[in-house]
Amino acid sequence: MASCRTVERLYAALPLRPFRDWLIRTHMDRCPRCQAGLLSREEAKSLLVGPDQVVGADRLWRRIAGEAGCAASGARSTPSPVGVTWRWAAAAAMAAAIAVTGFWLLREVGRSGSEAKIVAAADRFQIDYVHVGGAPAQTFVYQPQGTDTVFVWASRTPEKEG
Amino acid sequence: MEERDIIEGCLRGSPASDQAMVEAYGTLVLSVALNVLGNRQDAEDVCQETFLQVFRRLDRYDRERSFKTWLLTIAYRRSLDMLRKKRRFREFSERARFEPAVMRRGEAAERGDPEPLPSKLLETLSPRERTALCLWASEGYTAKDISEVLACSASTARVYLFNARRKIKSLLENDHGLLQNG
Repeated sequence: MASCRTVERLYAALPLRPFRDWLIRTHMDRCPRCQAGLLSREEAKSLLVGPDQVVGADRLWRRIAGEAGCAASGARSTPSPVGVTWRWAAAAAMAAAIAVTGFWLLREVGRSGSEAKIVAAADRFQIDYVHVGGAPAQTFVYQPQGTDTVFVWASRTPEKEG
Repeated sequence: MEERDIIEGCLRGSPASDQAMVEAYGTLVLSVALNVLGNRQDAEDVCQETFLQVFRRLDRYDRERSFKTWLLTIAYRRSLDMLRKKRRFREFSERARFEPAVMRRGEAAERGDPEPLPSKLLETLSPRERTALCLWASEGYTAKDISEVLACSASTARVYLFNARRKIKSLLENDHGLLQNG
């Protein structure tokens, strides 16, 4: 009894949480006299809302089901015909867009392929023999930078004097 | 439906099992959230978030542990999140010096709602103390069970419970004394 009073006084005198926790752990939580002065389970129950007092669990499920994306059993809806039509229309539009894009891409690739052929032809340009006036000529080949155009300049070879 | 069957069904993604779980534990989670938060609107939000998290994370549930305790642990954490969110919002609204309409909405719901609310005396307790008191009184949880929900040691849970019981008892005695004197 005396120790309980001392502990109570110490508890009231020093409002330091670690100290109070220590007093509770070492004495108050184990002492039947100190325990008797606490709120009883029945008193606590009267202040709290128990599970048996809560109503509206069905409302709760509707709310959760709506959020979870799965409808409650019985309330599950089937897709409407209007929704199906819209889905088909969207799918058809998507297919058409893919077809047009594919066609355009193929055309572009084909075009760049023909340009590549032209470049390849310029690279393959070759002169084996040029004759001017029945005699081999001096030949100069020019290709301006950045173009596929090739100029060939041929002139009569000057005759050797003497 | 048995608890194990409900869990198995939820793991398979059966809506009927989801509904069975909400029906079996909805009132429990709602009552704990209501006692911790003291507001029906917030308690329903927490309850919804709790079950959505349970459905998503059910594969992580350790079958060796009590399902109810695991569920209440999630509900407790969601309640703490809600309290933090509300505190941040209150601080912001005080700083911005305006009265938010959202805060009034909950009060209006309380007025129009016939649901019982926990005593205002519980507002003097910290969220941990409220939770400890609620689990002890309503569910008959021991300090060890409470410690699992609060994620602390059993002796710390005992301290929370002791403080809660002591504070409320003292307030009740003061009220009783005032009534007698007045």
